[in-house]
Parts: sequence; structure tokens; C-alpha cells
Amino acid sequence: MSKEIAFMEEEIKIEEVKFLSGGQALMECFVAENVDTIFGYPGGAIMPIYDALYDYTDRINHILVRHEQGASHAAEGYARSSGRVGVCMATSGPGATNLVTGIADAIIDCTPMVAITGQVASNLLGTDAFQETDVIGITTPICKWNYQITDPDEIPMILAKAFYIAKAGKPGPVLIDITKDAQVKSLTKPFEYKKIEGLPGYHPRRVPKIDQVEKAAEMINKAKRPYILFGHGVIISEAMEEFQAFVEKTDIPCASTLLGISGISIDHPNYMGWLGMHGMYAPNVMTDQCDVLIAIGMRFDDRVTGDAKLFAKQATIVHIEIDPAEIDKIKKAEGPVVGDVKETLKLLMPLVKKKDFTAWKNEFRKLEPEEKAKVSDRDFREEGKIKMAEVVKMVSDKTKGEACVVVDVGQHQMVTARYFEFKRHNSYIASGGLGTMGFAIPAALGAKMGAPDRDVIAFIGDGCFQMTIQELGTIAQSKLPVKLIILNNNYLGMVRQWQQLFFEKRYSFVELQNPDFIMIAKGFGLDGAKIEEREGLSDAIDKMLNHDGGYVLEVVVEKEENVFPMVPAGRSVSEIRLE
Amino acid sequence: MKQYTICVFTENSIGLLNKITVIFTRRRINIDSLTVSETVRKGVSRFTIVIKHEKREEVEKLVRQIRKIVEVLAVFGYLNDEIVYNEIALFKVSTPLGGKPLDIETINRIHKAWVVYWGLDYVIIEKTGIEEEIFEFFKYLKPHGIIEFVRSGRVAVGKTTQGLVEYLPEEQEWEYYL
Repeated sequence: MSKEIAFMEEEIKIEEVKFLSGGQALMECFVAENVDTIFGYPGGAIMPIYDALYDYTDRINHILVRHEQGASHAAEGYARSSGRVGVCMATSGPGATNLVTGIADAIIDCTPMVAITGQVASNLLGTDAFQETDVIGITTPICKWNYQITDPDEIPMILAKAFYIAKAGKPGPVLIDITKDAQVKSLTKPFEYKKIEGLPGYHPRRVPKIDQVEKAAEMINKAKRPYILFGHGVIISEAMEEFQAFVEKTDIPCASTLLGISGISIDHPNYMGWLGMHGMYAPNVMTDQCDVLIAIGMRFDDRVTGDAKLFAKQATIVHIEIDPAEIDKIKKAEGPVVGDVKETLKLLMPLVKKKDFTAWKNEFRKLEPEEKAKVSDRDFREEGKIKMAEVVKMVSDKTKGEACVVVDVGQHQMVTARYFEFKRHNSYIASGGLGTMGFAIPAALGAKMGAPDRDVIAFIGDGCFQMTIQELGTIAQSKLPVKLIILNNNYLGMVRQWQQLFFEKRYSFVELQNPDFIMIAKGFGLDGAKIEEREGLSDAIDKMLNHDGGYVLEVVVEKEENVFPMVPAGRSVSEIRLE
Repeated sequence: MKQYTICVFTENSIGLLNKITVIFTRRRINIDSLTVSETVRKGVSRFTIVIKHEKREEVEKLVRQIRKIVEVLAVFGYLNDEIVYNEIALFKVSTPLGGKPLDIETINRIHKAWVVYWGLDYVIIEKTGIEEEIFEFFKYLKPHGIIEFVRSGRVAVGKTTQGLVEYLPEEQEWEYYL
């Protein structure tokens, strides 16, 4: 009798065991992956997840953005400053489509991101239900991987896959679409999270094949006029130390792509600057002089090469790159090395010879006075309105080049790249591949979350600022001490420059009627100031830097400045214009 | 323009066809034929995609882009002389009372095709072969009145000693049908 009662009690006990709901399981996945920050915006089809999040706010910091595009850019900023996977969340339909720009930005700039979107219940899929969009279909071409979950039991395994894929190899965005019923329903088994270290179809080669490394070393050792072009890959693989050691041993002059900026300190004697459409003079034209071009963690973007057929056509190329699809995609590489930059440099280091390329490096340095006279001196001339360059240089000096700089897209982006003197690694966060206007405000707040002990300063054009201006509210509500500098020339400056140079000054829809930015900032609860005269600039920057909390500094700059040097689109770097 | 046959081995999951075809769409490459079926390994699908292209390097780049899809296990690209390939076609041919009778001997012996269904006033003929042979047969049948004609798309195997399945990742235990 007593035995029977005990048996019944046990049965009742089993009945009472409730496994986690899909929403709770998702939160446990985040905890297991050490996700400390999520950028998101709630809505109908993601409410069960937000309900689960309510109990996890002690472990997960959720930043409520003002528009889902802000969430995806903030996740990018977080990922770029921290080197970890950025996480953003949005509801179905419009919420999900608003994430799209940030996802596209993340894939082209190799930013690890996991985007979670709510979806209508699985029985409503394909019925044109309220806020239903085929998010998987929309994001397939711009995601490294995407997946729709309709069964809560899939959540732990799929999320483990998502975080692995986002970070492994060449990082990128992963989107996981979770139907509302899968968020509500309970798992049918205890939650168990196993991190994934490889997949049958995806196991990127980190350590390169030794014969490829040996071939590369041979080419490098034989070179008379070798030249290193390095990109974002150096920063992504956190190979800055190995890279510097490699450069110092071989004594090869190096230049970076736009996103490679701050991969090595600007003071380094082998660093010649950055190259590309608006890059520096010597780094660009010397691509025509080298005999061996060593491309490290870069992909020969057209903004780097100009006309790719003519780019470094005299040189043989060593291409160190983790994504095999990038090898020979734009430039044929005689010495391809497929592997992670850090792992490759470790293997390459003992094979390369110690050299002295002083004379060859001086050929780069010889070109600098011309650029200074024609470009830099002009950019800093103290006449008329304040110049963008002055603002950037002053902020650079006052922060000793240590700040984490976020930029938007356009003239100010190029001027910042030219004149900010980056001393610290991983300090230039820009939308490079996609050129997404509106990137900077949300990316800056994300970057601050990702690197809380760094000063985060954003340079933003007046056009860009208005594209994601609503995120000022996020900065205010989350009390993030982010400094935003508007370089206001009242124009869409880069487009205006092109219209001036290539469209006979036909200024077609580039002049803006701007709002009172400071009044808007104050309306959002942020402090700010507007500067029009050169005299007040230094004090204004000091005030901004010393301000405790978010701050908007608007600097009215020269209206019709042009950014030089410039390699006209699709032309050879030898056609670079200095004025 | 040369013909290329691309064999793609993938995990069998929803939406994978789309993930593969967007890579062609983005590069404005038209797909001439496409067939999909499961391989001897459970859960592994084999796509056979035929395209025409002027540049071999571009096809190689395309193959590498397809390889980037996470669910794709392996991709192989071939020229026609590197593979044995075939497709199947069905012809619905009208055979009205009093019409010109079909010459079944020519159909069988010359064209190696077989009648697989007899209707009241039509027959369905099945023909396997390469595209040229099928078109040849089409021309032969045309005077009889072809009511309907359908081709399957290409299936192909490489002329190497090894089977392609051997190249698939061995990191997990595959379950075989055979």
C-alpha cells in the first residue's frame, strides 16, 4: 500500500516538472554564450521572448533602441569594439526588415552578429498574417547563415550553431527567426547547451597549409621592393602584436586599407598610411612600384584598387586570407595562403629573413612633402570657416590618439581617417564596405557598451546625423557617455564633391535645411554646444571631453571643401588627384 | 560559351535551393538545368546544375561562393568531357486513327527510346540521352505531332575512379541507405 502511494507521488512529481519555455531557453543560450548586452526593440511576435528577458535583466543588459536599424548598427559597434558577437533583436515584419541595413553592413565588413527576430506562429506562416514577412528569404543573400525555428527543442542547438558561425572563420551576421509558438511552448526535455566547435559543412582553416606558408616566405625573402597591404583581418584575428613583429623583422613598408586603420600604431616607422580612393598619396602610388605585394587580411575592394586590372600589375602577390573565396577573386595571387592572419604570421615569422629596407622606405617618405604641401596644408589653412581637419586633429591631440573613434560615411569619414593619429589598436570603427550613412550614432553607443573603459568619440556629417538621429534617445536613456561631433557643412559633402568634380557642379539635391541640432539633443536630454568660430573650438572640445555623459558638439565647417587625394572611381591609382 | 556542370552536395534543409540560386542570380548567371535528389547518404542532397559561361575563372569563383554556404558539404565543377551525363525526356505524341503510324523499330533501335504508355489516340515515349540526342529525337517525332514534351535536366557522374561522396567531410557518422 505504502509502496503504491510512493509510486503515485513520484508520478505526480514527474508531471510537475516543467521544462523551460522557448523564450526562457533563448535567454539561457545567451547566458551560456556570455552575452551581456542585447540591442533590441519589442513587438507583437517577439513578446514571449521579451517576457522571458524580464527575469534575466540581472544578467543581460538590454538596450532599448529607437529604431531597429539602430539595434543592428549598435550590435555592430559592440562587436567591433569588443571583438565579441553583437546581439540584436526585433519583432517580425517591419521590425525585421528594419534590421536589414545593419545585417548587410555586417556581412560586408565581417562583423560577428546574431540577430533574433520574432515570427508569426508557425500555423500562420505563409498566410500573409499580421506583420508576417519572409525574413529568411529577405536576408538569405546578406547573412552568413539564417534559420527559422518552429520547435522550441531546436533552440539550444541552433543558437550554439549561430554563435559559432557568426564568430568562426570570416565573421558575419547570422539571423535566427523564431515563430511565436516556439517562443511560448515548453521544451520537451531539460535545457542542455553544448557549444559547437565545427560543422560538417563549415570548418574554416585557421592554421594554413605549410607549403603555402613556405611559398609565401620564399616570395617575401626574394623581394627587392616588397610592400604590405593589410586590412581588417589583422584586427579581427587580433594579430596586431604578431603583425608588428613581422613588419619589424622584415622591415617591409606597410599601408592599411580603411578598415585596417589602427591595426598598427601611426607612429610605427614602417607604417606609411592608408590607401584607397581617398587614401594617402605614397601608399597609393607605391603600389605601382613594388615587386611583391603582401596582402594580409584584406580583399582588394574596388575602393582600394581603383581599376583592378591596372592595380599593382607589375607585382606578384602573396595573399593571406581566411576566406578561400577571396583568393584570386579580384587579383590573382601567386602566393595564396588560406588561414587566419594570426596563425599564419606565427608560422611565417621564423621563415622570413631579417632585412633592412631603409632606402626603399625612403621612397615612400620622399612623396610625403608633396602631399603635405598640396593637401594637408590646404586642409589646415586657418582662413574662413573651421576646417574638418582642424577639428579632427584637435580631438586627436586632446585624446592623445587613444580614443575609440566611430565615423559615419562621407567626407568626414575620410578626413578622420587622414588626420586622427591612432595610437591604440582597433580604434577606427567605420562602415567600410557598405558605406552606410546613419551608422555612427548607433554604432558609437554600441561601441561604448563593448568597450566601457574607452572614450568613444564619433565624427558625423550633418546628413548622416539625421538618418539615425532618434538614437540620441537611446544614448540619453541608457546614460552612455558617448561624444558625438557633427561636422556640419550643410551639404551632403561627398556627393557634392563628386558633382563638382565629375558633374559640372550641377548640385542636384545635396543642400540641406538642417534643424537646430543642439536643441534636438537637449530635447532628448543630452547636453551640447554649437561652435562656428575657430576661437571657441578648443574650449568647446575640452568641455565635451570633460562632460560627464553623452554630448553633442556641432561644429560649423567650411561648406565646399573637397577631400583629396582622390583616385577617380574605376581609374588607376596612377591617376590620383592631389587637387 | 562553354557548358559547365556543377555538382553540389548539401545538408537537406529548408530554403537551401534559395541559398544556392541567389548566388547565381546576383552574378546574372542563368541556370540551364537543375536537378536535386538525396544521395546514398541520408540527409545529404545532390544538386546538379548546368550553366553556360565564357570564362572558366568566373565559374571557379562561383564554385567557391557556393562552397561558402554553411550547409554545403562539397562542390565540384566540370566541363562536359570530364563527366558522363544524361537526361530523360518524355514525349506525348498524337496517334490519331488513320494517321501516319509510328515506326516503332526506328524509335527503338535507332533512337533507343521506348513507348511507356498507350492512350486512345496518343502514346508517351521515354527517351534518355544527352541534350543533342533528345533534340534529334524531337526532330524525328515532330511530324507526328508532339502534344507535350518535357526534359528532366541533367544528372552527371565524374569520370574519376573515386565517387564524389568520398570527398564529403568525415567528421560525423553518416547513415547510409545501402
